[in-house]
Amino acid sequence: MPLSWALFASFLLAAAGYIVGRSRAFATAGPDVRKLHSRPTYHGTSVALAALLPALAVLGLASVLRLTGVVTPESGLVAGTIALIAAVLGLGVGVMRIGQEYQARNVVERMVLGLLMLSSLIAIVTTAGIVLSLVFETGHFFQLYDWKAFFFGTEWTPRFQGNSRLGIVPLLWGTMYVSAIALLVAVPIGLFAAVYMSEYASRRVRGFVKPAIEVLAGIPTIVYGLFALITVGPLLRDYFAQPLGLGNSGTSVLTAGLVMGIMLIPFVSSLSDDIINAVPQSLRDGALGLGSTPSETVRQVVLPAALPGIVGAVLLAASRAIGETMIVVLGAGAAAQMSLNPLEAMTTITVKIVSQLTGDSDFNSPETLVAFALGLTLFVITLALNVVALIIVRKYREQYE
Amino acid sequence: MYDTSHRVENAVTPKDIKIQARKVQVFYGDKQALKDVDVDILDKTVTAFIGPSGCGKSTFLRCINRMNDTIPIARVEGEILLDGEDVYDRRVDPVQLRAKVGMVFQKPNPFPKSIYDNVAYGPRIHGLARNRAELDDVVEKALRGAALWNEVKDRLSEPGTGLSGGQQQRLCIARAVATSPEVLLMDEPCSALDPIATAQVEELIEELRTRFSVVIVTHSMQQAARVSQKTAFFHLGNLVEYGDTDDIFTKPQDSRTEAYISGRIG
Repeated sequence: MPLSWALFASFLLAAAGYIVGRSRAFATAGPDVRKLHSRPTYHGTSVALAALLPALAVLGLASVLRLTGVVTPESGLVAGTIALIAAVLGLGVGVMRIGQEYQARNVVERMVLGLLMLSSLIAIVTTAGIVLSLVFETGHFFQLYDWKAFFFGTEWTPRFQGNSRLGIVPLLWGTMYVSAIALLVAVPIGLFAAVYMSEYASRRVRGFVKPAIEVLAGIPTIVYGLFALITVGPLLRDYFAQPLGLGNSGTSVLTAGLVMGIMLIPFVSSLSDDIINAVPQSLRDGALGLGSTPSETVRQVVLPAALPGIVGAVLLAASRAIGETMIVVLGAGAAAQMSLNPLEAMTTITVKIVSQLTGDSDFNSPETLVAFALGLTLFVITLALNVVALIIVRKYREQYE
Repeated sequence: MYDTSHRVENAVTPKDIKIQARKVQVFYGDKQALKDVDVDILDKTVTAFIGPSGCGKSTFLRCINRMNDTIPIARVEGEILLDGEDVYDRRVDPVQLRAKVGMVFQKPNPFPKSIYDNVAYGPRIHGLARNRAELDDVVEKALRGAALWNEVKDRLSEPGTGLSGGQQQRLCIARAVATSPEVLLMDEPCSALDPIATAQVEELIEELRTRFSVVIVTHSMQQAARVSQKTAFFHLGNLVEYGDTDDIFTKPQDSRTEAYISGRIG
């Protein structure tokens, strides 16, 4: 509690410092503001930062020490007091520094640079943190469960009493199968929609169609899941699976794949549309000027020029498909099995991560810890996809830029 | 059938006329960009369109192969006869028309393909070569025709975008020449090129004239004087004066033409 009060107080001090610094700068300048090296607002900002940054540093250090257990939570009062003292001292130093020659603008610019660098650092550090925690728990899992049985086991039968079989292969198969169907639906439809919007549609039609397609992207995935469960699933069962004798499951890989494909259409179409629009008009003119038909122009000139971006869009859609959970739970079911029949129920890695972590079993049992191993595998797969995408894009760029 | 004596000086028989424009008007929305343009463009001749920016010369050029069709708000009235047939006739397919009337643009726009594939593009879509050997032949001829063969013959599989600006523009000319057009339209083909590359392209134009009719839009009056036999001067959407290049530059009939070529307008 004292820490958050100290934080609040430091912000107040910083605000006060801004006002004081600014007016003091005006006072120093006298009648001619141009005598100042920096404009008064920069002086104000530099004072505010001088007060805020030391306090934030003290508070941040205190939080870290408390989390790691070096100091007790009761030391919060001491830390808060130190932070406030630091803020006041910083404020004092900041105000004293003000003078006609003081380069407050350069100081503020450096601070801004620091802030921007810090922001990007946070993103990177967080990623590293997530990976580390996954790796740590996965290591724990492999101490309890043989890694060969995990990666090559073709059976997934977790039991609460222990002695489970936790083979990833059926889950991986389900994930790939569902994603492949989803991409088979989303990529052609999305790409054709993008080509229509960017090359053929009039401005008015495009102004209506593009937002209408993007509405799809705003639908929560659980709603897609419901659609799969109550509409697409029964439809496929009654009109395809049963008449053809391919099974009578209400949930199936095909159901989840189709619905997920619909979900991915706006990703593919919207990104591809932007990319196709970025292809210079001069290339289209060149092709048309040689007597190409509009579709020849699109196929032979516009799409090849837009290819790197389109590959990127498709791989982005692929990682969404692999990571999707709700549609699979409701559309494909939860049965971990390997089958070629798309009208049978199967399941994916993400679904099993959820079900393993929401059970009642002991957190240190392999049945629970397997979720982290699954998560890490998933992460490695999507990472590999992204790397491959980058390599393709870069290779293409080198060739044509 | 047509009043061929109109604006065209002596000793021209109808069969020398490649393109006849009659009362061509172009509108962009409500704005009129071109007013009643009448002009006869001769076969195997370089015709230059000159005039200040926004005078309609590029607009008229783009009418000839119907590139203005790609602009939704553009509307063209009047007739443009290519060998006596109106290119705006409903039966004329712009795709076929553009195979006969090639175009080279202001900025070099090679496709993101290899040098070979750039040149082979037109012959391929129009089925002008029956097999690879024939296509090789067409590509080589076109590149020789564009004075580019010696520079690129050892790297035909490299991307066309990797060439220098002048080479890219000659590649675009080769690409247009490869479909054996009857007319080649050039929209300020040298405006993005340095003087040496410009000289090479101009030399090329001189050579192309022996095979077909070339229409070139240019901002440079020196260039018009160097490369063309006929010159048309456009001003504010009007075709002000059309005649032999020598006459236009030495004894212009219209005061506006004189003002332009002496640098007082434009």
